[in-house]
Amino acid sequence: MSESSMTRPRAAAVHHTSLGVDNRKLGVWAFIGSETLFFATLITTYFVFAPVNRMRPDFQDPRKFLDIELTTVLASILLASSLTMVLALSAIKRGDRRWFTTWLLATVGLGLAFIGGQAYEFNHLYHEGLTLSSSLFGTTFFVLTGFHGTHVAIGVIWLLSVFFKVRAYPDSPENPMDVEIAGLYWHFVDLVWVAIFVLVYLI
Amino acid sequence: MAIAERPAETVSLPRVNVRPGWAGWLSTTDHKRIGIMYLVSAFVFFLIGGIEALLMRIQLGTPDNTFLTPDVYNQMFTMHGTTMIFLGLMPLNVGLGNYMVPLMIGARDMAFPRLNALSIWLFIFGGLMLYVSFFVGGAPNVGWFAYAPLTQKQFSPTAGVDYWIVGIGLTGVASIAGALNFIVTILNMRAPGMTLNRMPLFVWMQLIVAFILIFAFPVLTVATIQLLFDRHFGTRFFLPNLGGDAVLWQHLFWFFGHPEVYILILPTMGIISEVLPTFSRKPIFGYAFVAYSGVAIGFLGFLVWAHHMFAVGLGPLANAFFGAASFLIAVPTGVKIFNWLATMWQGSLNLTTSMLYAISFIGMFVIGGISGITLASPPINVQQTDSYYVVAHMHYVLFGGAIQGIFAGIFYWFPKMTGRMLDERLGKWQFWLMLISFNLTFFPMHLSGNAGMPRRIYTYEADMGWGLWNLISTIGSLLLAVAFLIFLWNVLTSLRRGPIAPADPWDGATLEWAVSSPPPVYNFAVTPRVRSRRPLWDEKYPHLVNGSHEAPTARPRSPLHDGFEREIPAVMEPIHLPSPTYAPLIVSVGITILGFGIIYLGDFGLIAASAMLVGLLIMAAGIFSWVRISHIDSPHHAHHGV
Amino acid sequence: MAGHREEHGSHVHGEHSHSDRFYWLVAGVLAVVTALEIGLFIINEQHLIAKWLEVTLLLILSTIKGAAVVMFFMHLKGDAGIFKFVFLVPLAFATTLFLSFMVLFSDHVGIAG
Repeated sequence: MSESSMTRPRAAAVHHTSLGVDNRKLGVWAFIGSETLFFATLITTYFVFAPVNRMRPDFQDPRKFLDIELTTVLASILLASSLTMVLALSAIKRGDRRWFTTWLLATVGLGLAFIGGQAYEFNHLYHEGLTLSSSLFGTTFFVLTGFHGTHVAIGVIWLLSVFFKVRAYPDSPENPMDVEIAGLYWHFVDLVWVAIFVLVYLI
Repeated sequence: MAIAERPAETVSLPRVNVRPGWAGWLSTTDHKRIGIMYLVSAFVFFLIGGIEALLMRIQLGTPDNTFLTPDVYNQMFTMHGTTMIFLGLMPLNVGLGNYMVPLMIGARDMAFPRLNALSIWLFIFGGLMLYVSFFVGGAPNVGWFAYAPLTQKQFSPTAGVDYWIVGIGLTGVASIAGALNFIVTILNMRAPGMTLNRMPLFVWMQLIVAFILIFAFPVLTVATIQLLFDRHFGTRFFLPNLGGDAVLWQHLFWFFGHPEVYILILPTMGIISEVLPTFSRKPIFGYAFVAYSGVAIGFLGFLVWAHHMFAVGLGPLANAFFGAASFLIAVPTGVKIFNWLATMWQGSLNLTTSMLYAISFIGMFVIGGISGITLASPPINVQQTDSYYVVAHMHYVLFGGAIQGIFAGIFYWFPKMTGRMLDERLGKWQFWLMLISFNLTFFPMHLSGNAGMPRRIYTYEADMGWGLWNLISTIGSLLLAVAFLIFLWNVLTSLRRGPIAPADPWDGATLEWAVSSPPPVYNFAVTPRVRSRRPLWDEKYPHLVNGSHEAPTARPRSPLHDGFEREIPAVMEPIHLPSPTYAPLIVSVGITILGFGIIYLGDFGLIAASAMLVGLLIMAAGIFSWVRISHIDSPHHAHHGV
Repeated sequence: MAGHREEHGSHVHGEHSHSDRFYWLVAGVLAVVTALEIGLFIINEQHLIAKWLEVTLLLILSTIKGAAVVMFFMHLKGDAGIFKFVFLVPLAFATTLFLSFMVLFSDHVGIAG
C-alpha cells in the first residue's frame, strides 16, 4: 500500500469537506439556482404574452387592475421580512435565543401578512373581472404571482419547522446552519418579488 | 486490496445497522442499495418500453396491418418514448452514478443519503403513476413531447395527459433532488488529494449532467404546470384560438428537451472513458480535453433547442443561428471521439464484453452523430423532419450510443456491485447479436425515412414501397429482444453461479477497485489519499508512472514514510453511517397521493381536494420523522453520544 | 464547472457576518430605493420622461435592490466562490432564456410562425 495511503477519518466535529463549505448550504444554493430558472420561465411567459394581450379583443390592461398602493405594502412587507430574517440569523449566531425567537416569529408574521395581502389582492381582482380565463393577462399574472405566493407559503412552513426544531433541540450545534439555509431560501423568495414588483407592477 | 482489509486493527468498524429482508431495502439510505434499486427498477421499465416498441414493430412489419388499433398505437409510441427517456436511460445512468460516484471519489456515501432515498421512491412512484394511466381510461397518446394544442382537453379528453404531466413531474422532482445530491457529493465529498482534475471522467460527466439537469428541468416543470392549468383551470397558455401560443410549448419543451439528450448521453461517454483505458491498458488520451469538451457540450446544449423546430418556420435568422450552433456541437463531440481512438491506439486491447460495447459505442455513435449533422442543416431538416430518418438518427445515438455505453458499464461494474462475474461467453453472444440486430432494426429506417415514410403512423399502404425496409426492421427488433433475453439469463444465472469476483477483476485504475466486491457498507474503512488520476495503477505499477501527468519524484513508498501520516494520533474516530429510515418513503407516498389529487382536482374537486389533504398530512408526518432522524443522525449528536 | 478555486481546509462560518446596525442600514437603503421606484412610477404617469428611460431607470433601481439582498442579506459577497458559481451561472442561463425568447417572439403577434 504505497500510493493510496491512508488518512484517518476526520473527527466529526471538524466536518471536513473538499471545498470547506457546508454540504447543505451548497445544496440550497444550487437549489436556488434551479429555482431561478423556474421563475425565469414564468416571467418569460408573462412577457411573451404581454404584447399579444394588448392586441386582443378581450384585452385587460394591467395598469387598470393593479393597485400601486397595495403593491407597495406587499413589497415593503417582504423587504422588511428579509431584514428580520437576517437579524434572526445574527441573533442565533451569537447565541441570543430571545432575540432569535422574536425576529424569526416576526419573519413568519410578515410572511403570513404577505400571503394575506395577496389573498386580498386576488379576491379583489377576481371581483373586478380578472380571472385565470378572462384574458392572457389574467392567465399569466395569476400563475406567476400564485406560484410566488406558494413559495412564500412553503417558506413560512420551513421557517416554522426550523423554529420548532431549535426549540426541541436548543443545544444542537447545527441550529445556526438550519436558520441560515432557511434564510437563504426566504431571501430568494424576496428576491423574486423584487423582480416581479418591477417587471409586472411598475413597467 | 489492502485498503479494505487492513484497517480492522486501526479503526473501530461501524455497527452495521441494516434491517433484514425487505425492510432493509424500504428503509435504506445506502447509496449502493439505492443505486441497485435504480438499476433494477429502471431495467424493468426499460423492458416494458422495449415490449411497447416490439408491439409497434409487429404492427408495422407488414402493410395495412391491424394488429394494433390507431389509438393503442398512439399510446404505444407515447409511452415508449416517455418510458425510455424518463424511466429507462436516465435512471440507468443515475443508478450507475449512485453506486459508483461515491466509491470513485473516495466517499462513504452521497452528501444527502435521505434525499437520495426520496429520489428513488419518487422515481418509482412517478413511473408507476404513468403506467396507472393504462387502467383508468388510457395512457397518454400525444407523443413524448406532447405538442400543443393536441394535449388540450377537447382533443385529449382522457386523463392520460394528466398522468403524463404528474408522472413526469414526480420523476422530475426526483431528478432535481438527485442532481443536487450529485453536485454536492462530487464538489464537496472528495477524498483528500482528489482534486477536480484528478476525478475519474465518469464522475466529471455525472457532475456536468447534474448541472444540466437543475438548469433544464425547471423549464419543463413550468411548461407542464401551464399545460395542466390549461386543461383544468381555464388558462390559455397553449390555446391559439384564445391568443395562446402552441409554438411557445415547443420552445419551452425543447429548451428542456435538447439538454435532456446530453443528460442521456454524457454519462455513457463517461462510462466508456473509464472502460477504454482499463482494457487498452493505457491512460486516457487527453484527459483534460475529454473533461472540458463535456463542459462545452453541456453549455452548447442549451443554445440549440430550436433545431427541433425548423419546420415551424422561425425565420432565416433564427434558423441560421440554431443551425450553426448545432454544427458547433460536433466539435467537442469529435474531440472526444478522437481522444477515445487515441486511447486505444497502440494499447494492448483486452476485448472483454465491456470493451466490445465501448468500441461499438464509438462506431454507432459516429453514425448517429453524422446523421445528426445532416439534420442540423435547416433545408435538409425540413425534408427529413418527422420522417423515419429522424427515428434512425435518434436510435443510433440513444441505443447505439447510450444503451451500448450502459451495457459497457454494466459488464464492467457488475462484479463490483454483486461480487460475481458475468459470463463472458454469453456476454459476447449478446453483444454480437445485439450489434447485428440493432443495425438490422434501425439502419433500414434511414432508407424508409428518405423514401418518405413519416413517423408516428400506425400503418401504411402496400404500394408505398416501404414494406421491405419495415419487414427487416421488425425482424431486427425481434432479434434484439433475444439479445436482451440472453442478458437477463446471464444476470440471473451469474448472480447464483457466476465465479466469485475479486476486488479488482479488470486491473482498474480508479478507487472503486480498491475495495472488496461488493464493497462494505462503509465503502472505505480509512479514507484514501489520492495523488494522481490513477491511484491504483500508480500503486500496482510504480515503475510505469511515466504515463502519469505528475512526475513521480519524492513519492513516499509507504504511508509510514509520509511525514503527514506520521502525525496521525493513535485514536481513530469511529465511522459514522446514516441510520436507515422510512421517512423518505413516507414523504414520497404523501407526494404521490398529492399528485393523484392534482390530476382529478379539476373534475372531482372535493374528493380530490381531500385526497390532497391526506397526501399533505402524510407528507408532514414523514417530514417530522425526517427532521427527528436527521437530528439524531447528525455527526455532532453522534459525536456526543459516543 | 471548472475553474473555481479549490479551497481545502475549514471555512469559518460567520466571518462575513456584519453587525445588526449594518443590516438596518441595508434595509434603509432598500426602503429608499423602493420609494424612488414608486415615486418614479407615479410621477411619470404624467409622461414627463420617455417610457424607455423610465423602464431603464426602474430596472437599474431594482437591480440595485436585488444585488443588495443577494450580497448582504444572503451574504454572497465575500462568501465561498462555489456559491457564486451555482447561483450566478443559472442566473446567466435564465437571462439567456428570457432574452432569446424576447427575440424569438418579437416580430409577430399571436400565433408564432
